[in-house]
Amino acid sequence: MKLKTFFQFTAPSNLVMVALMIIPLGLAIVMGANYITYATFKEPVFVGLSNYMEVLADPAFWTAFRWTLVIIVVVVPAHIIVAFVGALLLDQVTGWPRAFYLAAMLIPMIVVPVIGTVVFRQLFEPTGLLGWFLRAVLGGPFLFTETSMKVLILIHTIWISSPFALVIFFAGLQTVKQELVDASSIDGANRIQQIRHIVIPHLRALFLLNAIIAVMDFFRLFDNVFVLTRMNPIFHSDTLQTYLFRMAMTVKRLGKANAGAVLTVLLIMVVLIPFLILLYREQTEER
Amino acid sequence: MQPIKNPIGRILIHLSLWVIVLSSTVPFIWTVLQSLKTKKQANARNPVFWFKPTLEHYSELWLDSVPDNFTALAFGLIAIILALILIRVFAKHLPVSRWVVDGFIVGAIVLILWAIPSLVKTAEFYDYFVNTIIVATGVVILSISLASLSAYALSRYIGLAGVGLLLLALAIRSLPRMAFALPYFWLGQISGLYDSYFLVIITLVAVNLPFTIYLLRSFFMDIPREIEESAMIDGASRLGAFVRVIVPIVWPGIIATALFTVVLVYHEFLLVRILTLTNWTLAVAMQQFLGGISDSGSLPLKSAAAVSAALPLVIIVLIFQKQLVKGLSAGAVKG
Repeated sequence: MKLKTFFQFTAPSNLVMVALMIIPLGLAIVMGANYITYATFKEPVFVGLSNYMEVLADPAFWTAFRWTLVIIVVVVPAHIIVAFVGALLLDQVTGWPRAFYLAAMLIPMIVVPVIGTVVFRQLFEPTGLLGWFLRAVLGGPFLFTETSMKVLILIHTIWISSPFALVIFFAGLQTVKQELVDASSIDGANRIQQIRHIVIPHLRALFLLNAIIAVMDFFRLFDNVFVLTRMNPIFHSDTLQTYLFRMAMTVKRLGKANAGAVLTVLLIMVVLIPFLILLYREQTEER
Repeated sequence: MQPIKNPIGRILIHLSLWVIVLSSTVPFIWTVLQSLKTKKQANARNPVFWFKPTLEHYSELWLDSVPDNFTALAFGLIAIILALILIRVFAKHLPVSRWVVDGFIVGAIVLILWAIPSLVKTAEFYDYFVNTIIVATGVVILSISLASLSAYALSRYIGLAGVGLLLLALAIRSLPRMAFALPYFWLGQISGLYDSYFLVIITLVAVNLPFTIYLLRSFFMDIPREIEESAMIDGASRLGAFVRVIVPIVWPGIIATALFTVVLVYHEFLLVRILTLTNWTLAVAMQQFLGGISDSGSLPLKSAAAVSAALPLVIIVLIFQKQLVKGLSAGAVKG
């Protein structure tokens, strides 16, 4: 295919991506430099960089950033381990049991996240199954406190993000070369050694892929934190996204929220650029 | 890997799988149970496991008033849906082309949705359901037609521009929703498009386009170049070859991608929450239903709402499980 044809075919979607993504992003930068509230929608006041400075000086922004980082550091490895073990187990069964197990495991990913989270929270409420169970085990009622809420957020994030990684690992496991595994068992390698020295190196790219997708997704974690905490500030569980939502919708400072959003994009890009370079190298080497 | 043969090992594998299965499904099983209880049973401090199920909360949720011939209507609806599923499953054996079958099914669904409010008095929940379908349809049509052209070009063009475009799409995919939700919110307020289907649809198209392109590209890469080359030797233009030869071959991939788009639209919460006031999709309506303080409102009604909103998607995905898993892993494993 010629470069000209390539551009003709990609033109419609490129136009849409530029018009609907890049321009709003530019608008966000501009809006970040204005003082806008709901009362003054149509007459924004230009304030230069002061919104950006205000966000950078806001301890709540940095608390949200730290909590987002904690989620990433805990959940990325944890969900990869859960998903990898799950995929190895699933690979051991065949036929209709495999289809059944897989279908059941996909449920947390398929159900609308907001609903999945509501359902998850209900389980821990006094009328819920685990609320009752924990009451029996702990001897007192299970309460939503800052600590228990943060633990719940971590568990829920693992719960909701593992199925996707599991599907990816499972597909990867189907491409492991059987001859290699057979040869290694003739040489006396046991199953753990086979997994360590054959399977994991073979799936290295998928570990990286799952980690990157998870980092991207956890940076914009919103739905489950929003529903679990009901935006109640006593839990001190704001992520970057719920912080921005609060700034825009509760505090009603649109300009400041936009400034925060732009700064978040910058933070994400800093994390992502090394990976993009890596991916670019891999892609160009292939050709 | 070869399967473990040792019987104790087999038992341990199945037990561990059951642990994962249960932790994935127990919250939903519990909610289904709650939705079938009376208010008193659902609020009991010690869970009630044996009870006479009731469907009153579902009819309260979906209907303003229950008509006399309700059972007949409900069974009629279920029969029609089953018939449509059967037609889709056995489409291969019918004497007409797949396009006709898919078109017929879509037409039938639209007709059913349009006819229901004139047969029974539906509640607000039904409107949110229809909203979700309207938005999902709009997003699927727009994003698939835009993305398939682009994805085809990306699968055929060898050069740096292609890599650059893929990386740009990936970078756009990683943007946080809040970065463009607020500009859209502002634009919507200024232009008066706030709370319209149009604004929600174009926003969701923009958000999902990169992912759609990635997914479709992996399906197009499966098709050998020789196919359209021979069509082009016969005198077709590249666009003509694409529309008449490539698209029919890649149709199952397009269906899988469309399903993914439906799932993503159905899941979208933050953007719809910010861009609408009353024209909510189910995800947003659910949060309004279920939010608030846990003790206000009826617990089984909330549970019925959660089950009702979650079920359509679960059914769709279970029917198309194979295509979805294939689609998810295709892009990832092939890179």
